[in-house]
Amino acid sequence: MENRTAKPKTVSRRGFLKMLGGVSLTGVAASIAGCSQDPAGGKGWLPQQYQVASSWPVQVKGRIPIDPNNPSIVRDDKKCILCGQCIEACERVQTVYGYYETPIKDDITCVNCGQCTLWCPTAAITERDEIDKVVRALEDKNLHVVVQTAPATRVALGEEFGLPPGSIVEGKQVAALKKLGFDAVFDTNFTADLTIMEEGTELVRRVAGDLKGVKPLPQFTSCSPGWVKFCEYFYPDLLEHMSSCKSPQQMLGALVKTYYAKEKGIDPEKIFSVSIMPCTAKKYECNRPEMNDAGKHVGKEKLRDVDVVLTTRELARLIKMKGIDLTKLEDAQYDPLMGESTGAAVIFGATGGVMEAAVRSAYFLITKQNPPEALLNLTPVRGLQGVKEASLEIPGVGQVNVAISHGLSNARKLLDQLREDKKQGKPPRYHFIEFMSCPGGCISGGGQPRTSLPPSDQVRQARLNSIYQIDAKIYKKRLSHENQEVAMLYQKFLEKPNSHLAEELLHTEYVDRSKTLTAKKNG
Amino acid sequence: MAKGVLVDITKCVGCGSCTVACKLWNDMKFSEKEPTMGPEAKLSANNWTVVRFNEVKKENGKVWRFVKTQCLHCQDAACASACFAKALQKTKDGPVIYYPHLCVGCRYCMIACPFNVPKYEWDKTFPLVSKCQMCSTKVAKGEAPACVSVCPAGVFKYGERDEILKEAKATIARDSKYVQEVYGEKQAGGTSWLYISDVPFEQLGFNTKISSVPVSTYSHNFLKYTPVVAVSWGIILTGLYHYTKRRNEISKDSGKNVKL
Amino acid sequence: MTAQGWSFRMTPIRKLLILLAALCLGVVVFRLVTGLGTVTNLNDDWPWGLWIGFDVLTGVALAGGGYFTAIIVHVLHRDKYLPIARAAMLTSLLGYLLVMAGLFLDIGQWFNFWRPFVSWGHTSVLFEVFWCVSCYTTVQVLEFGEIFTERVGKKWHNAFKTAMPFLLIIGIIFPTLHQSSLGGLYLVAVNKLYPLWWSTLIPYFFLISSFFVGPAMICVESTLAGNAYNHKVPVEVLRGLARIGGWFMILYLILKIFDLSNRNVWNLVFAGNLEANLFLLELVLGVIVPILIVFSGMSASRSGLFIYGLLVSGGVILNRMNVVFTGMSGSAGASYFPSIWEWAVSIGLVSIGVLAYCFIVENFRILGHDEHHA
Repeated sequence: MENRTAKPKTVSRRGFLKMLGGVSLTGVAASIAGCSQDPAGGKGWLPQQYQVASSWPVQVKGRIPIDPNNPSIVRDDKKCILCGQCIEACERVQTVYGYYETPIKDDITCVNCGQCTLWCPTAAITERDEIDKVVRALEDKNLHVVVQTAPATRVALGEEFGLPPGSIVEGKQVAALKKLGFDAVFDTNFTADLTIMEEGTELVRRVAGDLKGVKPLPQFTSCSPGWVKFCEYFYPDLLEHMSSCKSPQQMLGALVKTYYAKEKGIDPEKIFSVSIMPCTAKKYECNRPEMNDAGKHVGKEKLRDVDVVLTTRELARLIKMKGIDLTKLEDAQYDPLMGESTGAAVIFGATGGVMEAAVRSAYFLITKQNPPEALLNLTPVRGLQGVKEASLEIPGVGQVNVAISHGLSNARKLLDQLREDKKQGKPPRYHFIEFMSCPGGCISGGGQPRTSLPPSDQVRQARLNSIYQIDAKIYKKRLSHENQEVAMLYQKFLEKPNSHLAEELLHTEYVDRSKTLTAKKNG
Repeated sequence: MAKGVLVDITKCVGCGSCTVACKLWNDMKFSEKEPTMGPEAKLSANNWTVVRFNEVKKENGKVWRFVKTQCLHCQDAACASACFAKALQKTKDGPVIYYPHLCVGCRYCMIACPFNVPKYEWDKTFPLVSKCQMCSTKVAKGEAPACVSVCPAGVFKYGERDEILKEAKATIARDSKYVQEVYGEKQAGGTSWLYISDVPFEQLGFNTKISSVPVSTYSHNFLKYTPVVAVSWGIILTGLYHYTKRRNEISKDSGKNVKL
Repeated sequence: MTAQGWSFRMTPIRKLLILLAALCLGVVVFRLVTGLGTVTNLNDDWPWGLWIGFDVLTGVALAGGGYFTAIIVHVLHRDKYLPIARAAMLTSLLGYLLVMAGLFLDIGQWFNFWRPFVSWGHTSVLFEVFWCVSCYTTVQVLEFGEIFTERVGKKWHNAFKTAMPFLLIIGIIFPTLHQSSLGGLYLVAVNKLYPLWWSTLIPYFFLISSFFVGPAMICVESTLAGNAYNHKVPVEVLRGLARIGGWFMILYLILKIFDLSNRNVWNLVFAGNLEANLFLLELVLGVIVPILIVFSGMSASRSGLFIYGLLVSGGVILNRMNVVFTGMSGSAGASYFPSIWEWAVSIGLVSIGVLAYCFIVENFRILGHDEHHA
């Protein structure tokens, strides 16, 4: 690779002249002596698989297309070795590349999940680096810079600092962010709990038949932006199943520039909202045109709910850039108002976690009683099996069937089944389905620290274990509806779940993207 | 005998694998100033192949079409016929290849090429002409050119030009979405690289004004008279020289006679 | 004329010329060390620029006076034109040497310039140009040997004198071939050169115009040299030459008209765009007006002939520039204007030529030579 990367060199004048002389002499000598009489080209290399007669197939080849304007990922051609691993991730794991017909239309289909950045052996594909924007905001004295951290970053960030996979660095992460100069550090867990309240209420209403005809069962989770975009591309006919709740990131973003601004008396325009996410699709999500509800609410439509998303990897680089050793920091606490969280929130970072958290609170919302112990350790929905399902008994409702998928190839299985069932007029098999774009859920999201290649289940499991450990052992509360700050938010600002203001700020709509591609017919 | 490549523009997804393969195999550097992909992509001394993004109107919307551009390896190559030192040569395998050690650096090939393919290393002390070699060493071994071998989207068909052309014609006849023309079948006397597309070629930046007459024809029709002209002009001049000299001598003599 | 010292008068103009020549040499060294990109504004859209367009194409055409004179004086033995013969052929020799210099600077692999002598790209028009220009320059050097040996190496003088008829005849064949093939170079630009100039007849246009620009240049040169060296060529001699040129200009004009009709491009002539206007300018001021001058009473005066010479030379220069620049600009993606260094070299080379001319004229029998040697 080295010889293909132009290195900036400083050359003295004497050196330059010497070089010129040398070059000229060699040129002349080489030419006169006729050193090389080869035709031009062919002096480099290609991966072995390509050096076969044209009549033989090549097993793994090429690379995925990436729009130069992709908000989430970029590729450095200099580092690409055409190993084909991005195609493996995109086509086999995520079923995006290769699942649309050519000719393409005016979009390079991408769900922004960033799994390719984890598979790319040379790191040619990376997240779009936005560290500069954050550094500039932090240096701007006029800006009040607020940051939130996703559930899954706290069990992975440590790996970037030499800690074993799954090390829990929640407090150190907060300390590092404060040291970096963020004015307030909030926990996306807080809005994960809020999501449960909103999404749980929505689910209960769907189950009760309040939303008949408009929002049928099963309800789909909507917190994984890669999954949402996937559904918009390939299954737009099923978008009515998608919960209207924004993802926790976007809920917190919307609240920072409304609720927090109001409570603290800060001009929303002076707030710069950053989020630290395990996800590259979040970079895309915060740029979705409709994600400016706080701005709309305060009459400044140009305001974005979230200004910049940094991946876990970018945060690690930023911390290293500033010479901070994460491992040496004293644990610090999230800031109040939107810093409290429960175990139900932190398991959002694991596949099946949203489901488990939702079940806990749905039980409460329906029965007005806290769920039994069995529902607090819902083992069928945990683990790395691609599609998981569970069936629970909830008094007053009866049998509630749920399913979970992670990795978009697994999502297809459930979606195709649902499509087929609907075509045949069968009743829905499930009440609630959790979809996560990335295999393992957010803990191995496209923005998480890179691991061995391809990403291994061993590391995923270590991170999952830590997530469940936080839920079971570290946090005091395990139920979203017990989050006091969430309760206070409703009391002071939103009134109640699915209220008018909650709908305005915390819920969203989806776009049918099927016109931007020709999806391949299944089967 | 002569190999060819069929490019089906409708299949290209714009991943640019081909541009990377070219750089890898030919050991050439990337330059930020000379993108190999995108709307600004242009062939240059460092870019033997680029994928140009075109946004074109189609039906009732706009669509993107990606056009891989490289030397078309004409069957009767203008550049090879224009090179006065045989630095550019058409091989019987199909590629038009460049021998740096023979090049004088006159750049007449750049004037000659109807597709404006050859580029020059302007920033070098001893600049050379630079263009796609169709991976002649790979082709000689029965391998496909680097760019062709790496395409994940099935854009290319590589094989005998005659067969490829037949296949191209069959494809466009079978599917009405295609423009009913194979670009490169006739242009400049026919090229080794052929293109089929569902969008008119002129909208994709192809020069559609190139006639089917090989460029070398014009030079040949002029040069073929050179020996005849040289010899007959020599004879005429010698004749005139002696005739007028003699005439002058006679007139001088007669003038003398009169005086005397 | 024997055994006197070499002389070279210094005048302010010559000092300026020496300065320009020195600047040129500096740029030349810099160009040879750094390549073409730093010195020239050439680019992939404009592979050929000022050095090819002016120094080579125009230079060769303007040096056409040499073979014109050789035909008229030495082959057709029109002795009355003898007074201008040596001057015209000297100008031609210097012109070609400068063309060679310009070419050498313009080629990227200059150390490889000899390659086409051994690696024959015989299908190329440039191959013919290369051989003919090289051979013709050699022949001209040998022809100059006859003058040179009048003063230096006198024992060889007779040998040169004997070889002259042979040299002269080859010295006409070669330029005939390459003057036309310089135009022939642009045959390959069939899809690029604007149709007002691209024609299968372009070699013949180049040939004829190089022939009639000969007397025009002689008119200009002898007027200038005449003033400088107080050596006046008789008006009748110049007028006679100019008239010969005039006939060829009529031939050129007829051929142009035929060509434009034949290719059915008259609409382009009056299209009013830049190409059309420059084409008309080149044809009206460079051909039609001079024809009117030369076949009217205006050509009886020195000033009339001087203007005639300037118009014809200017017309030919414009024609070559139109082919290289105006005609090609439509098909080129980018724009090109020569850099200051390209100008410096082109102007410097001309300065060197003028200085060399002055030196030779002052030290060899050029202007005062009117006896027939053969």
